[in-house]
Amino acid sequence: MAPPKGGYAPDLDKFLDTLKSRPVDASVEFLISLLKRRQIRGSESCAIATAHILLQVVAKDKWSDVDQLIGRVQLVGRKLVTAQPHELVIGNIVKRVLGLIRDEASEDRNDTGSDSPTDRTPTLPPAIEPIPLSKQTRLPSLVALGSFARTQSMFNLLSDPDFVPSPGSTPKLGSGASTPQGYPQSTNIHALRSEVIDGIEEIMDEIRQVDEQVQAYAEIVIHPGDYVLVHQPSRTVQKFLLRAASKRKFTVFLVVDPSAASTEDDPYSSLRKSLSSSGSTVVNIMNVGLMAYMSKVNKVILGARAITKKGGVIVDSGAAVIARAAREQGRTVIVLGGVYKLSPDSRFHHEGLVEWGDPSKYVNFADGEMVGQVRVRNAIAEFIPTDLVNTYITNL
Amino acid sequence: MSQNKASRGGAAAKGKKSNKPGAEDKREDVLQAVIIADSFQTRFLPFSLEKPRCLLPLANTPLIEYTLEFLAMNGVQEVFIYCGAHHDQIERYVHDSRWSPNARSCPFSSLEFIRVADARSIGDFLRDLDKRNIIGGDFVLVHGDLVSNISLDAALAAHRARREANRDSCMTLVLREAGEGEHNTKTKGITPAFIIDPNAKRCLHYEEIHPLQNDHYVTLDPSILENREAEARTDLIDAEIDICTPDVLALWSESFDYELPRANFLHGVLKDWELNGKMIHTEIVNEGYSARVRNLQMYDAISRDVLSGWTYPFTPECNLLPGQSYQSQGDNVYQEDDVEIESGTDVFDSVIGKDTHIGSGSVVQNSIIGRNCKIGSNVRITNSYIWSDTTVHDGAVVEHAIIAEKAVLGKKAVVHEGALVSFGVQLGEETDVKSAAMLSLLSPSGQLVSPQPEFVGSGGKGALFEDLEDDETDFDDPSRLQRSLIYSLEDLDLSDSSVSTLADDDDLSDDESGPVSPSTSQPTSRSRLSSFASDDSGAPTFSSFHSDAVHGLLDVLRGTSGNFESEKLEFMSLRLANNASDSAMRKAVATAFVRRAIELMTSENDALEPSKAAKQVLTSRAGATNFISEVGVGDNSVPEQIEFALAVQKACVSSSRFVEVAKTGNLLAAMLQQMYDLDILEEEGILGWWEDDRGKEEGLMSEVREKCQPLVEWLENADEESDEEEEDDDDDDDE
Repeated sequence: MAPPKGGYAPDLDKFLDTLKSRPVDASVEFLISLLKRRQIRGSESCAIATAHILLQVVAKDKWSDVDQLIGRVQLVGRKLVTAQPHELVIGNIVKRVLGLIRDEASEDRNDTGSDSPTDRTPTLPPAIEPIPLSKQTRLPSLVALGSFARTQSMFNLLSDPDFVPSPGSTPKLGSGASTPQGYPQSTNIHALRSEVIDGIEEIMDEIRQVDEQVQAYAEIVIHPGDYVLVHQPSRTVQKFLLRAASKRKFTVFLVVDPSAASTEDDPYSSLRKSLSSSGSTVVNIMNVGLMAYMSKVNKVILGARAITKKGGVIVDSGAAVIARAAREQGRTVIVLGGVYKLSPDSRFHHEGLVEWGDPSKYVNFADGEMVGQVRVRNAIAEFIPTDLVNTYITNL
Repeated sequence: MSQNKASRGGAAAKGKKSNKPGAEDKREDVLQAVIIADSFQTRFLPFSLEKPRCLLPLANTPLIEYTLEFLAMNGVQEVFIYCGAHHDQIERYVHDSRWSPNARSCPFSSLEFIRVADARSIGDFLRDLDKRNIIGGDFVLVHGDLVSNISLDAALAAHRARREANRDSCMTLVLREAGEGEHNTKTKGITPAFIIDPNAKRCLHYEEIHPLQNDHYVTLDPSILENREAEARTDLIDAEIDICTPDVLALWSESFDYELPRANFLHGVLKDWELNGKMIHTEIVNEGYSARVRNLQMYDAISRDVLSGWTYPFTPECNLLPGQSYQSQGDNVYQEDDVEIESGTDVFDSVIGKDTHIGSGSVVQNSIIGRNCKIGSNVRITNSYIWSDTTVHDGAVVEHAIIAEKAVLGKKAVVHEGALVSFGVQLGEETDVKSAAMLSLLSPSGQLVSPQPEFVGSGGKGALFEDLEDDETDFDDPSRLQRSLIYSLEDLDLSDSSVSTLADDDDLSDDESGPVSPSTSQPTSRSRLSSFASDDSGAPTFSSFHSDAVHGLLDVLRGTSGNFESEKLEFMSLRLANNASDSAMRKAVATAFVRRAIELMTSENDALEPSKAAKQVLTSRAGATNFISEVGVGDNSVPEQIEFALAVQKACVSSSRFVEVAKTGNLLAAMLQQMYDLDILEEEGILGWWEDDRGKEEGLMSEVREKCQPLVEWLENADEESDEEEEDDDDDDDE
């Protein structure tokens, strides 16, 4: 009798619920339309949804060899990426899964020990230049944290965008097609399937654990008495702050977009409460007064939606100006984001990365004159160029 | 409606619907929706002749896609589509699309088409739906031309709560606030007025207001205002998204004459609230977008909203249709793949479909261009909609027009504002399509027409499209305001000046409906137009007053009914009821007397001479003289007399359509003479009228006036002779 919980409108939870009961194709189409309608939004949701659907593809689809599987995943992945080209994490997850399949397949072959292993690892680049400096320096310690087996293949992935079709642009099947000859055709498909499934589940675990892993750095980054500025903190950033607050006392400037603050109940009230209960100070700033505080601030902490190959960061709209202001004042800008957000995306102009939403954030639709006469654009995300960022912190 | 047949639409699984009462409860958690995909309107002619409205492209996506997306977005599971005209096209389209129930991509568990063989209105559809017994619980009723991104969850929950609290609350209207000021996305011409109880959100009364109506009031039942708060809201956009319980369908069935969901059904149900006890609530949202492409004006407005992102996520960039590949290119330009734009071309604020080629030196601004269009060089396209497969040759200019699929514009052709160029029309070189012209290959009856070179140029294809029904529509039918092109809004908009212009048109039609066979005389009407446009803003009200009053008076003058005593009472009450101005009264009286005189002059058995006719009109019925001097002239001051003489003159002029001008001139002279003799008008009055500039306008006015020259000369002479007599006249009048 009762309507479904949370109304009829589909979202991530409903999508995950229906996954098991639907044929894979239908689920793929469903996810595509959810992505297109922006009913699944935000990098974390998109990543989880992508991982789940790929798990279904691997588990349920019929495939008799690795080539087929790779082709299938590529196809689904391409569809998902074109459905929401602004969420780079979708492409990242697809690439991770593809890499995983290739790794598992080649391991199998190594086990059988038949072919020469020369060109198994696809074209390792001579230098790992695209990875930003700060991360490179931290590389050794990162490795220690992450799961060792995966990191190897992942850094290959990050450094070579052509390894799998890059989102939106012309997909290059070349590298994908050249690798498989060496793969075993007849080896245990079942074993491969379960290994890949395990791998994807690991990826999902990893996405889930990002927050905990990232917050391990909180004590290193935030010092007692610091003045930290955050912009509409994502869950990752919130946990980061809370972890630091459990050990130290510092001041948080909480920048909230006026339009977001006024709409419904305050999403940050629990953050405020727990921060102040542990003795830290929270100062709210509406976007307007932002610059005045910058001279007081030591560190700016931003949550990334995605991090591009060259180190540029895609953030919620409103954060780019903060990064720039921090740079002018010489303050440290720290970007938090899980490894799944690092994107080997190499688009020339970054405008394409930014999505334009509906202008009602700034202008009420009821204001007929504004709506009729003025073109208002509302960027959903913004791009921060590499040189404005000092430190990246990931979960590896 | 007897032979309804469901089409092949439904998925096989859904074909057998159980009608058992127990089934209803189970189905409660499945959200159903009904799409009305025919509007029974002609506002999209000539396009809708060949393609149904819901398949017309809005920002290069067929309209019904937006509607289906809206339903899918809100988690609707079962969809029923009622099609009327062009149902085959709609069915084919949907079956070939991702919405087809056989396709994996269909988010609905079922999607069925229902055809009603002899439906003539939306009401017939819904009465049919009631009979089918396929609606289990709450359902969403929308139209096939809806563009909306509103989330219905809150409204659905509220509706359910209300319905559980009270079984009689049967319907929730989802309305969008749009502010008091002007708003492009509000429907022009017809303003819906909702009287709402703001606490209970109950809708108490509904009425549609439009500038052509006789009064600008909404009449409320006094019971509405008892014990409650009430808000009158005219600031809402009503996209006709209704959340209904099956009771709504029963209500439709009860009232077999309801046709329109709003003007008939909503208005009627609310009015009869005490009888049926059904309550209708409103859910006023102030977030999200919702609008219906009701007419071309809305097509224009909603296209702009899509382009400016208000309909997000239903914007070009989100590529709703599979295979679309729009990407933002800066400058608010959205392009699909393989668009070729030569250098030196300015493109901004536009959407450009796949494989379109734009030559060098062209300007595309604020426009939407479909797929596979060939646009030459040095073309200028502003504020326009160019549908797919169109060819625009070098140097052509398109300003704020719609060019339908496969049309061809020749070199240097110019399409002016508001023009509609329908499917496949070809314009020759240097053709000039006039503002607001409609060109089509088909006639209104759907026949192919032979080319009319005067409209489509030499070597062109197509002809001027004239809607036959256009003439049949009543002048005060508000759909007139919406039928015409979007773009000529300026002429039709609700500003005061144009309102009175329209009302004057209205007047003319009254005169035409007069008793005598019409003949043509355009200049006359023009002169009257200009003279009456200066009337006060009460103009719209005075049209119906005018015709009622004239008819009443004519009856008395003909001697068929009543006498002047009672007519005077009636006349005055009519005046009060309509709040008519003095000039309106004067005009009505003058028109009635002149018309009667003309009747006498032209009647077949005893055609009278003008002088005799005038005399008979003014004297044959007792009290006529008194009536004229009291009601028509007023307080006998000279200016009033001049005004009345002018009114008589105008009435004569407008009746010159029925008799020759010379005769009306004579009639005017005779009328004035008689009125002078009867002491209705004084010498000063007539002479003052003679001097008055308004009577000397070019054309028929002065032609008619000339005939009074002898009278005036005679009066002037008489003036010198008898000053005393005049004073006597004054005394007489004072009595």
